[in-house]
Amino acid sequence: MNIASKSGIAAASLRGVTFMVVCGIVLVPLLFMAGASLMPAIDIMHMPYRWIPQTWKPANFLRALAGNDGAWMYLRNILNSIIVSTTIAVSTVLLSSMVGYGLAKFNFRGKNIVFMAIMATMMIPFETVMVPLYLIIVKAGMQNTYAGLIVPFLMNAFGVFIMRQYLITFPTEMLDAARIDGCSEPRIFSDIVFRNSGPAIATLAVLSFRQQWDNLLWPLLVSQKEEMKTIPAYIVKFAAEKYADEGAMMAVAVIASLPMFVLFFSLSKYFLGGSAVYQAGKE
Amino acid sequence: MKRRETMGGLERKRSRWGWIFVAPGLIFFSVFSFYPMINAIWTSFFNKRLLSLKQPVFIGLQNYIRVLGSEDFWNSARATAMFTIGVFVPLFVLSLLFAALITSMRRGKRMVQAALYSPAVLSSVVAALIWLLMLDPRGLANQFVNWLAMTPGIDHRWLSDATMVQVSTMIVYIWKYLGYFTILFVTGIGKIPDSVNEAATIDGAGPIRRFFSITLPLLRPTTVLVSVMIIIQCMKTFSTQYLFTQGGAPLGPINVITLNIYNTAMRDLNIGKASVMSTILFLFMLGLTWLQLRFSREDEAGL
Repeated sequence: MNIASKSGIAAASLRGVTFMVVCGIVLVPLLFMAGASLMPAIDIMHMPYRWIPQTWKPANFLRALAGNDGAWMYLRNILNSIIVSTTIAVSTVLLSSMVGYGLAKFNFRGKNIVFMAIMATMMIPFETVMVPLYLIIVKAGMQNTYAGLIVPFLMNAFGVFIMRQYLITFPTEMLDAARIDGCSEPRIFSDIVFRNSGPAIATLAVLSFRQQWDNLLWPLLVSQKEEMKTIPAYIVKFAAEKYADEGAMMAVAVIASLPMFVLFFSLSKYFLGGSAVYQAGKE
Repeated sequence: MKRRETMGGLERKRSRWGWIFVAPGLIFFSVFSFYPMINAIWTSFFNKRLLSLKQPVFIGLQNYIRVLGSEDFWNSARATAMFTIGVFVPLFVLSLLFAALITSMRRGKRMVQAALYSPAVLSSVVAALIWLLMLDPRGLANQFVNWLAMTPGIDHRWLSDATMVQVSTMIVYIWKYLGYFTILFVTGIGKIPDSVNEAATIDGAGPIRRFFSITLPLLRPTTVLVSVMIIIQCMKTFSTQYLFTQGGAPLGPINVITLNIYNTAMRDLNIGKASVMSTILFLFMLGLTWLQLRFSREDEAGL
């Protein structure tokens, strides 16, 4: 028994050490980003690498925001990202819960076909439809506009799916009681259903926000003008420029990542261990 | 009889409200999913240039013949396949392994999960950018590998060698998604009832035996889901390769299919050809999703 518990302790501590090493390796690039954002470029490429900055250079962040040409375009692009991602998060939640409610709580002929058709769109890769979508946007004259960046993502099949699954378990008696009291259908939806779907709505909002925050391909197509680009497109441009400073590059990266870190780790109870993660890593 | 009629009227009214609630979805997905999908397939039979005023000409299967006969397309197919395999195997094995270890931990589960998950929070572009600097000839990656292998001063050409640049993109991806898939596995393992494991322990099965004889077979729904998700995501990878090529890496070895579609459409302005590749990609994904549905239905039947 004694030997068994001893070997158990040994195994447990071995596991602990393994994990510390693994987590260390996983976290190294993040530490690198944080450290390098405060270093002059020469130190980042110094051999051997020094983890603690020898000289501090917070001016990197100024350079990141001002850009290599001093046009302060990053501020504008961050604002664009916030506008686009927020609008899409709000509209996804509203429209998906409407459609999900219709599919979960009403009976009408063809309901299953509608549901299957919407689910089928999940199989369509964005890369397949991006060119026709782009042509639609061009025809509508929405290039270089917020509408062009937002409209194709107003809702998505995944959102409908989440909301439908969530609302199927919603107590029907509550809806019927409201109907008997003479409540109109739109009011039932907005005052009873929508108000009581907090967790599902929060999850969906964060996931849609994040997905757009990360979206590179579509803004590359739609926004040719600098002032209509979003953060990922700015990062690509900044990194590809000839005289880009490595420290400033990492400062750009830190600024782009901070909101996501705050958002995710303040809501970590939803994302670590929930089924919500299913969509979170999508590109 | 009368009562039944009023019920019918109510039902009809209710079903009308159902349609009203569903209508925005129908309109949206028709315009922004089904129409573009059909349009992409349709365009693949035409000789169409982006934003050209010339009337596109119907050329039948010529685009398909041209694409399937071009080295460029097969290079992209190879790049995507290599990337998918190169990411799938290590990512699947490592995340399953870590998930098994995490579930057997008594303390610190959350911390380990949070640490592993944190790269998944980053944008794909940011992840690629960090690694772009670390893989620089004077960067951390060379120093670390040289320290490990005790080969000072060797440049491993992470971003310039044809093979190494592929490995580099795989590393970025595995690093970014490891925590994400680990958590999916942890959730899956958590659904296996404890009683089964306890019974096996009483019967004298060790931890490794338990993992292979109990956890793995009972985890099948999750393993199928994770496998398909990894494959589909790998086939759609774009940001990492795009940023790497913008940062000076050679295009050929990492010219994955999505990057090729983007360049064919936006740089060469050849929409017909881009649509052919889009359609092929779509058919491939359709096949994968069908496989997943079949497997998950089998699992349901098995339970």
